This record gives sequence, structure tokens and C-alpha cells, in this order.
Amino acid sequence: MLTDFIPLFIMMALALGLALTLLNLGKFLGPKRPNRIKTMAYESGMDPVGTARERYSVKFYLVAMIFIVFDVEVVFMYPWAVSFQEFLAASPGAALGVTVVIVFFVLILGIGLLYDIKKGGLEFD
Amino acid sequence: MVTPFLFFLLAVVAVTAALGMLFSRNPVSSALWLVLNLFCIAGLYLTLNAEFIGIIQVLVYAGAIMVLFLFVIMLLNLSALPTLESLDWKAVAGFVVAMVVLAQLVYMLASGLGALPTTILAEQAAATGDASTIAKELFTRYALPFEVIGVLLLVATIGALMLAKRKPI
Amino acid sequence: MEITLNWYLALSAVLFTIGVMGVLFRRNVIVIFMSVELMLNAVNLTLVALSQSMGDVSGQILVFFVMSVAAAEAAVGLAIVIAIFRNKLTVDVSEINLFKY
Repeated sequence: MLTDFIPLFIMMALALGLALTLLNLGKFLGPKRPNRIKTMAYESGMDPVGTARERYSVKFYLVAMIFIVFDVEVVFMYPWAVSFQEFLAASPGAALGVTVVIVFFVLILGIGLLYDIKKGGLEFD
Repeated sequence: MVTPFLFFLLAVVAVTAALGMLFSRNPVSSALWLVLNLFCIAGLYLTLNAEFIGIIQVLVYAGAIMVLFLFVIMLLNLSALPTLESLDWKAVAGFVVAMVVLAQLVYMLASGLGALPTTILAEQAAATGDASTIAKELFTRYALPFEVIGVLLLVATIGALMLAKRKPI
Repeated sequence: MEITLNWYLALSAVLFTIGVMGVLFRRNVIVIFMSVELMLNAVNLTLVALSQSMGDVSGQILVFFVMSVAAAEAAVGLAIVIAIFRNKLTVDVSEINLFKY
């Protein structure tokens, strides 16, 4: 069973290895002659002031939170999608029943999205 | 049922990552240790033939929940705050309580060994874990709990919106 | 050597205990949340191992529900952390000791 995933693991290892190799290759091969002007954030224009780690707006949190909820929703829809043919093969009634279950689920979560839009949770002003 | 090498590799990395989460001072590195731990647990799910759960683990936990955690750490800019020192009598009491919990778990484990089936039936093991097997149970027998989960997520959406928005709605 | 169910249960117990230690040791409320997630994961591992061992898929369904509850918990809990931080400018649990500020 686990041997089915060997290509996946090989791909992950290759991706990791390629990323690390290329990043370090640039470090070794590239010539580095830094001076003060080059290492500044903006070579021309204003000098940067303050820290780069400002606080983000809480608006971003609301978007991320909505993303979590709908991520879970999609996770639940995935088994429905892959097994719909089997339910249909069993009987049309079973497929209809399963579809009703999932549509009701989506509608429940849709209420939350509508509420969020109505209250301006997704507005960036 | 699996190669011992793979299990012990994943188990050692998982425990190391959990300890790293426990002992690192910076909350961002805590979160990244936890992500490593979640990946190892996803690998353990794969060794248990629960492939769908393993993928979902990466998708939901590492992909969404930990992103939200990192997001809030960045949002609150915690690295600018002084790191919290925490070695006092509470730490000792916490260690004692944690060891008691571990002793209880090990005791339960040891006393229940006779009652648990330790061998895996091959035909059953092959049947569990993929998406369509889960769907057959989830949408028929567990249809009502499934809808209740939908209501829970709705409540979470509304509650988080109410709490996090700046002005009272 | 055969990896049996007990190894998974033992690993899960160790991870759960580390989560308990995180909740009891640390004072940063976000790290405490992460420890709670670790404990949920340890329990999920137990559920999947037992589900596999018994050949019953119900345990894996329960893991789904636990994951959804964890997502809801993270969303609401972190919103509470943001609301507290806005009022008190701290994430130290030993200073968050009032119901009303």
C-alpha cells in the first residue's frame, strides 16, 4: 500500500533537493562585491525608516479565517465527488440522497459567507 | 505491517519536533516545529493505510490551521515583545502533572494490551482509508453529524467575525 | 520485528504528554493553542491506528470531525487572542486573569 506513494516521496525529495541545491549554488557561484549603496533596500529614493515588521490589519485575519472554513468544506466535498459514480451505480436514489446531504452542508456554510459579506468582513477600506 | 525503519524514523522526528515546539522561545519557530510534527503524523497515517486522512492532514492542518497561527503571530508582531520566561514553581507542577498523565496513559495501554487485536486482517486493512470508503460511511451513517459539523463551522465563522472585527457590529 | 498497534499507541501517548506539558509550561497563549492542536493530533493518531486495527472506518470519520472542530477552534480561539491583545497588549496567560477589562 505504502509503495504506491514512492513516486510522490521521490518527487518531494527531488523538489526539496532541487530547491536547496539551486539556492546554495547561487551563493557559491555568484560574485559578491557588496558596498553600502548596493545593500540598501532602495538603491535610489528615500532611505527606509522604521522596521519592516509592522502589524498587519485584522482584515487579513478575517479573510484567512474564511479560508479555513471553506478549506474544510472542500475537504468534505472531495469524498462526495470521488464516490458519486459508485452511489449512482448503486441506485439513483442513493446518489440523490448524498447530493442533498452535501448541498445542505454547502448552504449552511453559505449562510456564514453571506453574513460575512453583509457585515463587511471582507471589505478593505 | 510497515517497515520498522519508516515508523521509527517518523516517530523520532515527530517527538523531536514536538519537543522543539515545546522548548523554542520564538513563537514562529514553535509554529514551524509543529508543522514538521504534523507532516510526520501525516506520514504515519500513510503507514496505517489511511491515505485520505494523511492528505487531509497536510491540507487542513499544515495548510490552513498553521497558516492561521503564523498569521496571527505576524499580526500581533509577537517577536517584538519580550520573550516570556517561564521557569518557576508552575513549571515543576506542570512537569509533575504531565508525568502523571503519561503514567496513566501507559498504564491504560499496558492493562489493555490483552483486549486489543494486535494483528491486522489483510482484507479489512486494504478496504479502509481511501476516499470512497470514507464517503460511503460519511454520507449515509454519519450524515447528521456531518450537517452538525456544518453548523459548527457556521458558528465559528460568525463568532470569529464578531470577535475580531474592530468596531462592535 | 513487527510494528504493532502498541507502538502507535505509545507514540500517541508521548505526543499527548508533550502537548500537556506545553499547555502547563508555556505562558504564551498562542503556543498553548499549538499544544492543544498537538494533543488533538495525538488523539487522531490513536483513532486512526485503532480504526486500522479493527478494520472499521468509523474511527477515520471521527478524525474528520476532530479536524473540523480543530479548525473551528483555531478560528475562534485566535480571534479571542486578537481581541484580548487589542485590549491588554499581552499574550501572557498569567496576565490575562480578568473576565472584564
